[in-house]
Amino acid sequence: MVTAALIIFAVFLLIFGVVVFFDIKRAKKHQIKYTWRRTLTAFLLLLPATVLAFFFVLLPILYSLGYSFTSANLLKMDRVKWNGFTNFMKIFADKAFLRGMRNTAIFVILVVPLQIGLALGLALFCNLKMRGNTIFKVCFFAPVVVSLVITSFLWSIIFREGSGGMLNSLLINMGIIKEPIRFLTDEDNSMLWIVLVSAWQGCGYQMLIFLSGLSGIRKDLYEAARMDGCNAWQRFKKVTLPGLRPTMVFILITVFIGACRIMIQPMLMLGPDYGMTVSYYMYNVAFSDNLVGRSCAVALLMTIFIGSITFIQRKILGGKKS
Amino acid sequence: MREKKVRELISDNDVRIVSKSKRGVYAKIIYYVSGVVLSLLFLFPILYMISCTTKTDDQLAHQAGTLLLFIPDITNVGTTFNNFSILFTSKYNIGRYALNSLIYAFIVIILNIIINGLAAYAISKLRFPGKKFFNFIILFLIVVPVETSIIPLMVICQNMLGLKAQLSVLAIILPASISIFNIFLFIQFFTSIPKEFEEAARMDGANTLQIFFKVILPLSKPILATVAVFCFIGVWNDYLWPTMVLEDDALFPIQAALESIKAKRGIETGQIMASLIITSIPIFVIYIAAQKYIIKGFGSGGLKL
Repeated sequence: MVTAALIIFAVFLLIFGVVVFFDIKRAKKHQIKYTWRRTLTAFLLLLPATVLAFFFVLLPILYSLGYSFTSANLLKMDRVKWNGFTNFMKIFADKAFLRGMRNTAIFVILVVPLQIGLALGLALFCNLKMRGNTIFKVCFFAPVVVSLVITSFLWSIIFREGSGGMLNSLLINMGIIKEPIRFLTDEDNSMLWIVLVSAWQGCGYQMLIFLSGLSGIRKDLYEAARMDGCNAWQRFKKVTLPGLRPTMVFILITVFIGACRIMIQPMLMLGPDYGMTVSYYMYNVAFSDNLVGRSCAVALLMTIFIGSITFIQRKILGGKKS
Repeated sequence: MREKKVRELISDNDVRIVSKSKRGVYAKIIYYVSGVVLSLLFLFPILYMISCTTKTDDQLAHQAGTLLLFIPDITNVGTTFNNFSILFTSKYNIGRYALNSLIYAFIVIILNIIINGLAAYAISKLRFPGKKFFNFIILFLIVVPVETSIIPLMVICQNMLGLKAQLSVLAIILPASISIFNIFLFIQFFTSIPKEFEEAARMDGANTLQIFFKVILPLSKPILATVAVFCFIGVWNDYLWPTMVLEDDALFPIQAALESIKAKRGIETGQIMASLIITSIPIFVIYIAAQKYIIKGFGSGGLKL
């Protein structure tokens, strides 16, 4: 493990040396002068950040890549052996991972349109020129401020099962349901509640981004559309939506990536049996089963998947703009 | 220009005329009613959280299924006080965890600004060979997602650097002190500071460190505030990483401690809710006090959700 770190360090030192060498060579040609003093101070200033970035940013990324193809185990990290693609085969044979894939897919498919739709609706609502819209804005934004851990605990109390649970008792009293709902221990539906909580918490943030996007649309376009006899819906379709395109691309990508990484809420509210997701599996397999190699393999798959989807989305949505 | 102004005036008048008409009154009523309903839908969990802290478990059970659940019982001062104050006793010890979080956040903010600021200063203001290398590394590391490497990060901290037991505090502080994104933000800001400031200071005989602390940092207050605010929110809200690397319960930051507080025997719902509220208060205060900087940070995508 330490040898690998030393090798990586040596490689980077070598690349750095080459860059420095060519810089000095070019400097002579263009008559730029580097002074020893200045260079030394610059390196000293960069030293703490470089050391920390090497250990805590760069090495984890490279190790994550490397461990995916090894049998790394948390309890015996001094004996790590290459094992090719075994981790990847094992992942796809693991029922917990497949359940995680299913849950993550359900979550992403539901939460992305719900959260973006809600955010857009709220943004349009708050964008109306009415007195007091700032108060509404603050109300819709409030859940964003509360941390994921706190909302998870809060909602698991609200979703408490049995007829004494807050939401259950309320729904029963109002005559909407007869039997208490098993919100958090239902293998098929529990993810739906996570979707609701997640959209509730997140959409205020996207609402603000939409609002700044809306303020960037030129007012005279609306005037022109009104002159041409467009009604509100047509104005929305022909002026607002095209004007929001760049904002939409940004929001779609960030919400999508965030949704693919869902972990804390199912972990705290549902546990591994009902709330397994891909990220959760990545964490759980390293902690409960000590399988670091397999966990890193999942991380690698996730990175590739998220990266390529982001690339495609940017291509499709960004391409039409120009 | 004038034409535009005239057009604006006309359109303003238009709106006013419309809103004064009868249709406008209905529109207003619909607007406010739907606004209040939507706000209540968004706030009901938070209202419930607040109202719970004013009640005992028996009272909550008594009110189950009624809308009384959402209304704080203001007359119940004793219960409310008890629900909050019991958390500060040695059984729950929330004060200690909050203090831990504050200390971590404070150290991380200072280190973050100094370490990343110095690096950004060297890259943006000093001339030295090999600068391209650093520029390239920054661009590369900003694109690669870091969250997926949390497990190797833990292995590095514990097995390679030996940040265990008492040293595990360093595993909380050090990885949080480096942020490639903050270096990037600092570089952008520093390049916008005119050279003349530095040159004047150099003429007066200041060395590079003095220039950084006495000239550059005081000129960069807005970016310092943004970085400090996001560092604070990041450290205060961090849950997963502390539970992974800390072994000693007494070192836990507040978010990580909430789980054990919640699982203590005999704790009442009102007390759990009180612990959640205590944990949220600093973030609420930060959001209100530093609105300007937070909105700025949103634009640059600084907040992770």
